[in-house]
This record gives sequence, C-alpha cells and structure tokens, in this order.
Amino acid sequence: MSIAYKPDETFRDDFVYSNSDTAILRFPFPFIEDEYMYSVNIEPHVRGGETGAFEAVFDVDEHYIAECRERAMVLEQDPNRCMVLPHMMTAQWDTLELIMESLAEDYPEDFTLEKDGDAWTWTNRPLGIKDSFVFGDVDSLPLEPFEYITRQAQGDFTLQDQRENNLFMDGGMVTTQADWSLEFDLGMSFHEWHGPVPVAHEINVFDRALQYLLRLQYGNPVRRLNWTMTVNPRLDTSPENYPIWGPDRTTLTPENIGGKLHLRVELQTLFRLPRSNAILFGIRCYLASLDELTRVPKWGRRLHRVLRDLHPEIAEYKGTTRYREMAVDYLSQFDDGEPTSPGIGPDVESL
Amino acid sequence: MSKSRPTYSPLYLDKTGKRHLIVSDTAEIPAEALADGVTPDMFDERWTIAGHSKAIPGTERGAVADHEFRSMNHLLIALRRRLGEEKMGFRLYAVGAEGFLWEVRTAAVVVGMGGGEVQLNQVGSQARRVFCNHCRTITEGVTTNIVECAGCGANLFVRDHFSRRLNAFAGFQVDAEEPGDIPEIEEIYR
Repeated sequence: MSIAYKPDETFRDDFVYSNSDTAILRFPFPFIEDEYMYSVNIEPHVRGGETGAFEAVFDVDEHYIAECRERAMVLEQDPNRCMVLPHMMTAQWDTLELIMESLAEDYPEDFTLEKDGDAWTWTNRPLGIKDSFVFGDVDSLPLEPFEYITRQAQGDFTLQDQRENNLFMDGGMVTTQADWSLEFDLGMSFHEWHGPVPVAHEINVFDRALQYLLRLQYGNPVRRLNWTMTVNPRLDTSPENYPIWGPDRTTLTPENIGGKLHLRVELQTLFRLPRSNAILFGIRCYLASLDELTRVPKWGRRLHRVLRDLHPEIAEYKGTTRYREMAVDYLSQFDDGEPTSPGIGPDVESL
Repeated sequence: MSKSRPTYSPLYLDKTGKRHLIVSDTAEIPAEALADGVTPDMFDERWTIAGHSKAIPGTERGAVADHEFRSMNHLLIALRRRLGEEKMGFRLYAVGAEGFLWEVRTAAVVVGMGGGEVQLNQVGSQARRVFCNHCRTITEGVTTNIVECAGCGANLFVRDHFSRRLNAFAGFQVDAEEPGDIPEIEEIYR
C-alpha cells in the first residue's frame, strides 16, 4: 500500500500538522498498563506486533517528506546537530547499508538500492534523490555516509562505540530530540549520558540495560518505547533551542490543551552493526495530540490514569510540571472508570 | 545526583609504573591531594605553576626533578610534547582545579594513555566551567547556581551534568519559559 505523504506539514511557526485516522490507529501508544515506571522494557525488533509502527525495520509514514525537510532546516541553522567522531567511519558505512537495504526491502515503491559489487545506486522517490556511489569511498557521496542517509530517514540516530566493556556515544544525527544535546553528550559513556535521568539509576535500570546491550547480536535488533509530552507538534525540542520552545509551555489553557498538548513517543531501536561492532540507536519520534489519541477509547482512559498517578520526579524530569494537573483534568472526561485491556493496541479497527 | 560528574580520590603511587610525573596547577604540590604515606618526593618529576612571567622549566629531563611553569597553558604545551615522547610504563598524576585536570586527562587520552595510567584529584576551588547549550560559549570560574552566560547573556542554570570532552558542565537558560522568572542566586561551588 502506498503512503499518502503530506509534504506541506510544518513542525515550527504555524504548525501545520495532524494525524490521519490511519496514522492514529498505527500510533505506537507506549503504555502497556494503566501505570508507568521505568523498566528495561526491551523486546526483539521483529516486523509485526501490536502497532503498525512495528511493521518495518525503519518506519516510514505520512510525515516522512515533511520531517526530512524539517531536519534539513535544523542542520542549516545548526550544523552541530550531526557530529561523528573520526574513528566511527566504518560505523557510518554500516549505517548507510542498513538503512538503505531496509527501506528498499520494506518500501519497494519508494526506495530502490541497486548493487554491482561496490558500485551502488540509491533511489529515493519521495525526496527525488538518485545517487550512484562506491560503497566505502567517502568522496563518492555528497556528504559523509551517516549524514547522507540519516537526512533521508525519520527520527534521530546515534552511534555507540563498544570498548572497555562500555558503550560510548561517538556520533549522532539529533534534530528531533526530547531535550538532550548531542553536542554536549558526544563521547560520553552509557552511564554518563544517562546521568540526568532521575529514579532509574537507583533501581539499576541502566546497569542492567548496559549489560544487555553489550551482548546485542548482529541480526537480532531490539526495540523499546519511551515517551514524554510536547506542547505543539514541534520536533526540535532541543536544549539548544529551549529559549525558543520553552515559552510554549505557558500557552496551554483548558480550552486549547486537547489540540496543543501532544504525547511524544520514541520508538527506540538498537542494531549491532556488522563491520564496526558499533551499535546504531534509532530514536523515531511520533507526535499525536490529546484530541487525536482520545479518539481511541482505551487510550483516553489509560492516558488519564498514567498521567494522574505519575511519579513526581519523573513528571518533573519530563517537563510536565507546569501543565500536568490541567492535562489530567482535561483527560478525566475520557475516563469512565472501565477496565482496560493489557498491551498497547487500540482495540478498535476504525475511528 | 549525577552520574556524569567525576569523582576523585587521593593519588597513590602506581607501582606498576616505571616513571611517575605529577603536575599541579599550584606552586607547591598540595599534600592533601596525596594518599596516606605518599609524599611529593616519591614522584620522579614534579611540574608546578609558579604564576609569574619569568618562570622557566629546566632543560634536562631527569637531571632536575622540579620544573616550574608560568601558567596552565604554558605547562600543557610542554606536557603535550612530553606525552608524545613517552613509552610504556609512564604514569601521569594531576592535582588542581577541575578544568586543569580534564585538560591534562584529554592530552593523555590523545596519545593513547588508558584509564589506570592517569590519576586525577581535584583540590582547591570547586568553581565550574559552564557550557552554554544555546550559544556554545564556556563561562569560566562559576561559583553560583545561576550565572550570566559570557557569550549570549542568558541566565544559565548550572546542571550537574559534566562533559569530559568539553571539560564543562551544562548550562541552560533558567528563565526560558517565563523570562525574568529567575530563582534566588546562591554561591554553592566555592
């Protein structure tokens, strides 16, 4: 089935953005039950599952063209949103290969990869790109391979080098992030870059997650869902531009919160790369407003309960302090107290 | 609570090393920086910062154990050259302000020295270097919880999040959401 792209969407200024019924039903709703706590909620990243967002290795949806344009704008304004340390060149090529092969396999109408030995031709029809290059020859591409291919994918990516029994964030393309800075965190070890996250260190989530990831196998990628909330459908909620988007948090009212406040979900995927032994971390961002999500009755009930009962420190870390009570009040109208089914699925097939 | 802020401990003489160089950003090696039973004369060489413009290190390595430098930068220039010439068995120790320690550490990492071959211990001022996440300027010598950025002028809250690569703590505009809404400023990093 071909994707009905919405190329004129914007994620800043006038915020022209919405989710079609199809996009709502395939939204990766992150709460498996009516309460939330940090956990090592990692599962194999295999095609299929409780949400349509799990059907491809790298999910492409109706926002693809607009998101790629937004990324290009961020990079034009701030080139340091893409940084890769020099020793990661092999991992750059690994990333290019993985993304190209996956997109071509999952979306043959939109992407084609032709190989004749090391002479590759890449066709990206939605973005109107066709390039021939020599795999492994940096000079044969218009950009370094990691930046070249991640400009053509939705969501952020980071590259983790594995050494000293640890992971080091030694590269990334980060333009759609939930308030963390690649430029600041570049080069950090696993526990360092997770330093600011509250509560999770005390319950050893990061120790266990690191041990798990150090053993990640090539060919067996894994995924998890993470979430926060964002006022307006803004992809670039970076620390760099916090002075620009921070004031959005003061603009919510009981009248506009349903359309303005968005659940921001990250589909996080982790891949062992074959040549470099590095790990590629994909952080694919999905945005849906409260009004879009509550069209699914189960999700309306559950979102109300999760927000209402959220651990105070986690609520603070996710930046919801200013408006959480207002959001809970608003969502209460969608919660009739009925039980919800386990798992993240919407339980309805149409809206 | 921070998992990126480094922790330090008193320096001990690493017996697996063959040559030991200790560098300090003060004129004397501070005794409190060393572990019990360790004294400055146990190190093969002591590099210190005299803090005046006539200070000059000796020219003969090994013949003189004490070398004086004019400033941190003066010392780091010599140190980088020296590290490039050293071989296995060399151990490096640094004491001083945090900014100095991570300049030394980075110089050592560049030449391939590993974790155990370099020891750091912070003594003296707890002042922080603060990297503005918005304009990327580093403000030096910050002793308060909130500081005006030397680059863009934003009122930065100093986070407990440290980058060894940038040798700085992160700072973000504390009143970004409501301009002018600035918490009380307190001196907390003396």
